Amino acid sequence: MDTATTKKTLKKDYRKLILENFKTHILEHGTPPASVFKFAKDLKMQEADFYTYFTSFDAIKSAIWVQLFEDTLFEIGNQEAFNTYSAREKFLGFLFTWIEVLKRNRSYLLCLYESKSRSITTLPKEAAEFKSRFKNFAQEIILEGKENTEIAERPYITDKYDEAMWVQLWFVFRFWLEDNSPRFEKTDAAIEKSVNLAFDLMGKSALDSFLDFAKFMYQSK
Amino acid sequence: MAEKLKEQENIPTTKVQRAAKFISTGAKVGGNYVKHYAKKMVNPSMNREELHQNNANDIYNSLSQLKGSALKVAQMMSMDKNLMPRAYQDKFTMAQYSAPPLSYPLVVKTFQKYFGKTPEQLFDTFTRSAVNAASIGQVHRATLGDKDFAVKIQYPGVSDSVSSDLKLVKPFALRLLNMNEKELDHYMEEVEERLLEETDYVLEVQRSREISQACSHIANLNFPTYYDEWSSERIITMDWVEGKHLKEWLETNPDQGSRNKIGQALWDFYHHQVHELKQVHADPHPGNFIIQENYQLGVIDFGCVKVIPEDFYAGYFALIKKNLLLNAKELDQVFYDLEFVTDRDSPEEQAYFKGVFTEMISLLGKPFHAAKFDFSDDEFFDQIFELGDRVSNDKMFKKSNQARGSRHGLYVNRTYFGLYNLLNQLRAEVVTTKPDWLD
Repeated sequence: MDTATTKKTLKKDYRKLILENFKTHILEHGTPPASVFKFAKDLKMQEADFYTYFTSFDAIKSAIWVQLFEDTLFEIGNQEAFNTYSAREKFLGFLFTWIEVLKRNRSYLLCLYESKSRSITTLPKEAAEFKSRFKNFAQEIILEGKENTEIAERPYITDKYDEAMWVQLWFVFRFWLEDNSPRFEKTDAAIEKSVNLAFDLMGKSALDSFLDFAKFMYQSK
Repeated sequence: MAEKLKEQENIPTTKVQRAAKFISTGAKVGGNYVKHYAKKMVNPSMNREELHQNNANDIYNSLSQLKGSALKVAQMMSMDKNLMPRAYQDKFTMAQYSAPPLSYPLVVKTFQKYFGKTPEQLFDTFTRSAVNAASIGQVHRATLGDKDFAVKIQYPGVSDSVSSDLKLVKPFALRLLNMNEKELDHYMEEVEERLLEETDYVLEVQRSREISQACSHIANLNFPTYYDEWSSERIITMDWVEGKHLKEWLETNPDQGSRNKIGQALWDFYHHQVHELKQVHADPHPGNFIIQENYQLGVIDFGCVKVIPEDFYAGYFALIKKNLLLNAKELDQVFYDLEFVTDRDSPEEQAYFKGVFTEMISLLGKPFHAAKFDFSDDEFFDQIFELGDRVSNDKMFKKSNQARGSRHGLYVNRTYFGLYNLLNQLRAEVVTTKPDWLD
């Protein structure tokens, strides 16, 4: 029993050690380590042991994205008010907190993503795991939004909302990377305005009435 | 009125929308020129007056839809050049800057940024939505123990939008006011300075405190306490001032005595600031005052404070001496100093403008000429508006292509127009004190 716990903590520590050393390496050199062999050697590990935790550097990067996401959820959990928020406010609250969490790792993220951040479509493949987790979270918000009628049910389109929210999150990320305003105030404004726009679009609007009317005219011809 | 309200509901807010609005105005102005030349081909005797008229209308319409700093600039500049046309009177009572409301998560984030805590952690209660719109942010109400607080939070990025708004308005102000660029810049700087100061909440707390301490001896005035520990660049926390806004209070039909009391407090407040402190709360619009029980006047919001330079002060107030008891030479000097008349004017222009300004000043100085003045005298205000309309339609003013009046006059005039207007709404009779050196 005793040995099992020590073994477990030891295992966890190695994982953490790898993550932290990887970040440090990026921060100090600006690039990922030359090879897994070299990286493991610096950690005084066997290369084979390394693979029990991660299979590649991309897997490490992916784990870091997930870690940032989990940290955000943890911090949100500590905000009492969060549970009483509307769907719109929840998404706002999530993005504001997420950016706060990212801020603590800004240099790391800048090293890796600054140059690649230009285009909206090319997502780094290491963010895939984060994306799927985020989409689960987004779906919860959308479900809640539908329940309290903040979000209008539209056939086919509604199913794509989680994807749209991911694109928005990525937009915020890129905006923040290039933000030079003091205290990243512009990012705050960008979050506020873009989420308001998104929820205004997702809510019941003149567009629905227009589509309904257009459908009616088409059918009665 | 219903139509007016509707306009208020959709204010173009984003920069793109604002720019779009300006572009459509530009197109209209262009159209006016086309129309003008088309008409002129048919009727060569037509002059440019009508064209200017059309342009001014289109531009003014566009500006009044934009609100924000754009309108503020238009207001203040026209005020100096044309006195105050009647249409501007209403604008004074409206919130001058419209920022979209902050979402609650952003309020929380702003708190965490500056204090490391959420509003709930700092206060016992904190309203989820804003109870009031401030000029460039919003006000929430909070309680802690048995104390009530007003917490003002600024929208992020407002200070950046000030400069870009002003740049947007510039080409139109040039047209509208018939000024050349250099002269316009001279006013723009003043306006930009003030607007930027309004976004600086640290400065606002400091000034609020200074002025409220310096005015604490004045009867029937009440200032909230400001709390440094809960104030920062974007947040101001002060006591909640319980009471009624001017309009609400007037609806309760207060008697003449109480209206005079409030009016007197207002007058004394401004008298002390202008003549003793030489810095003045330059935004006397009704939203900045709260009327409390026992005829106490609560003063909130010191966002816009104008420091009055000594030499401007001396010249400006010398002009309100009764019957202008100055000899012609002294008067000329004052007109030059205040930049009402310049060397570039022809003798004819000089004579004309001196005449107009003398008339203006003796009218505006009228409340100072007796020991008491009854601001319910609508005839006095009609005279001001009549003069304003006459001047703004006068050919000499339109043709003269320069800014008139010192830049410091912008905010001092605005303050006095605002004060007179408030006193008129109050229909108060006030002992119009003046500094000793003017007697």
